[in-house]
Amino acid sequence: MKNWKRDFGLFLSVSLVAMVFISANDPSTDNKVSPPEGMVYVPAGPFIMGSDIDDPDSSPQHIAETGAYFIDKYEVSNAEYASFDSEYTYPEGAGERAAKVNWHQATAYAKSIGKRLPTEKEWEKAARGTDGRMLPWGDFYDDSFVIYSRNNTRGQSIAKPASPYGCFDMAGSVWEWTADWYQQYPGNTHDMEQYGEKYKVIRGGSTFNNFACYTTFHRYYVHPVDTRAYPIGMRLVKDIE
Amino acid sequence: MPRKKTGILILYAIFITVNLSLAQKNNSYPKDDDPLHVKVRMYEQLMLDNHWNEGTILFHALHHQDGKNIDGFGLHSDLIDATGEMLVAYSCKYAITKDKKDKKIADQVFDGILKAETVTGVPGLVARGFYKANEPQWFEKAWYDEWHWSSSMPGYRWLGDQSIDKLVSVFHSLGMYYELAADEAYKKKVEGLLSRFIGKIVNDNFRIMDLDGKLTLWGNMCPDLPHNKLNSLVALAAVKAAQQFTGESRFASAYKMLIEKYHYDDRQLLTNHLFPEHMRHIWDDYHAVRSLYTVMQYETDPDLLNKYRMTLNRQWYVWKDITFEEESTIFYIMLYDLMTGENAMEDPARIDVLKSMNGHKRGTRTFNLPMEDGSRMKITTEYDRASTAFIRNYWFGRYFGFVDPNW
Repeated sequence: MKNWKRDFGLFLSVSLVAMVFISANDPSTDNKVSPPEGMVYVPAGPFIMGSDIDDPDSSPQHIAETGAYFIDKYEVSNAEYASFDSEYTYPEGAGERAAKVNWHQATAYAKSIGKRLPTEKEWEKAARGTDGRMLPWGDFYDDSFVIYSRNNTRGQSIAKPASPYGCFDMAGSVWEWTADWYQQYPGNTHDMEQYGEKYKVIRGGSTFNNFACYTTFHRYYVHPVDTRAYPIGMRLVKDIE
Repeated sequence: MPRKKTGILILYAIFITVNLSLAQKNNSYPKDDDPLHVKVRMYEQLMLDNHWNEGTILFHALHHQDGKNIDGFGLHSDLIDATGEMLVAYSCKYAITKDKKDKKIADQVFDGILKAETVTGVPGLVARGFYKANEPQWFEKAWYDEWHWSSSMPGYRWLGDQSIDKLVSVFHSLGMYYELAADEAYKKKVEGLLSRFIGKIVNDNFRIMDLDGKLTLWGNMCPDLPHNKLNSLVALAAVKAAQQFTGESRFASAYKMLIEKYHYDDRQLLTNHLFPEHMRHIWDDYHAVRSLYTVMQYETDPDLLNKYRMTLNRQWYVWKDITFEEESTIFYIMLYDLMTGENAMEDPARIDVLKSMNGHKRGTRTFNLPMEDGSRMKITTEYDRASTAFIRNYWFGRYFGFVDPNW
């Protein structure tokens, strides 16, 4: 009997937490908010961040929290960025994703249109929602959902299944800048010399990297200016006033 | 014009010419209509003179802006590929000529691959390339930010972010070297390197890990992470090769586990994309065919052999119609014939292509390198692209009877 009571109590507690969790994050409960054109709404609340099956810098899997925000459905295109930076040139089409933008350029562009780069938390929550999924569309990989191309390694959009909040190309296409320095997660015990304020975090992988880079929790670090050959673009966030 | 002035002009012209023609140690390229065996001999010398980097072969040897000849001055990201091609070439060449000079070169190339392991200070081949330098050279900025100072070989720089295609180049070329050229002492060294390199990958759950503990950008064969189906095939071929050459039971166990628990034998059936057509990757098929050639040589289970053959058939659907001019295409067809006995190479059009194989001419390239202050540095330089695939195709073709020595 004691065990039954304990189990029931545990079940009740878990259910309550789950209800709070789901109600806090279900976009339908916040349907009065209408996002600007080309953006989607991400409600405030907790979500599952990190992973215990990825590189050690992504662990431990933990609960993180964000406020509410709007985030771009798609990565910024070549044409959009070129309208801000007249010296920007690109070999791909105007509609393809901008892929050769350093962190300061991305930040300046965002500011010029009243937006900003997402934090790592905001990026990851927009990509995986609240159920802790591995990829934006779920826990399975599908070859037709990401263009893995050697012919065009930069910035191809496929716009296949969206993330839980309606973002596209968060797996593959181009890497995306976040606002954050590459820092150790709370509770992480894997020490890396790159942690600190030298590198910024990029997310989402590019079309030519291995599929593990496409996971919603995979982190990579790049110098904010000396970007070498990494194809990095951006997806921007707008604060809700 | 006064005779003295004319003389000075002539001397100046000679000086300029000499400077240009001495851009590298060797500047002698064959003529396009030279016989195949002459072209190969001249390109071999070009590789040994201009691309040689302590046994490894630079894929792109860049010309130093001051006209200096500096070993290792070039692009290192694909160094293991060019080095592996050279190892296959000289292994086949030695098997034909039995000339000790050819064996010595093959041994030195293998030693170069070993040095790429030693330079990192850890067991397992996690370096793509290396060079000796007092300070980092500008070409490091042409690729990813993965250069490190060596802790085990002071004064050396090495490039990390190892990838799956280099793994293929290693087990394929070491296998050929082992069987055709290595003596007993070198066979032991080959066994050791395969044991450490592929053993580390197995221990890291089928991931190629950098020294910082992160999975490399192209090193994922992990059953717990989404990965390219080609990489499932590569994983099977790698552990099969390691099992074959080292005799270590852990590799047999790993192979069995990948098949029975994770069904890599089924995953590899879809190694190549067929549709939509723009997602077909010929370069990836080149890695696949070398993996299939390796695993099918040593696999004895008829069911598994059937599955590998099904993968090959699926690839042939594309390759049977492909333009037959690229180096990797020529090699693909030769391997296909060896695996199937279908004699696809006997097509007269393909024989014509074999006869007209050639190396790469000198070229010019401009780099636009990002600096830490936000500016970009533009460098235009001449470069020599490695012709090792051509040399490999020639000697591999000679050894297996595809290429006539009189061509």
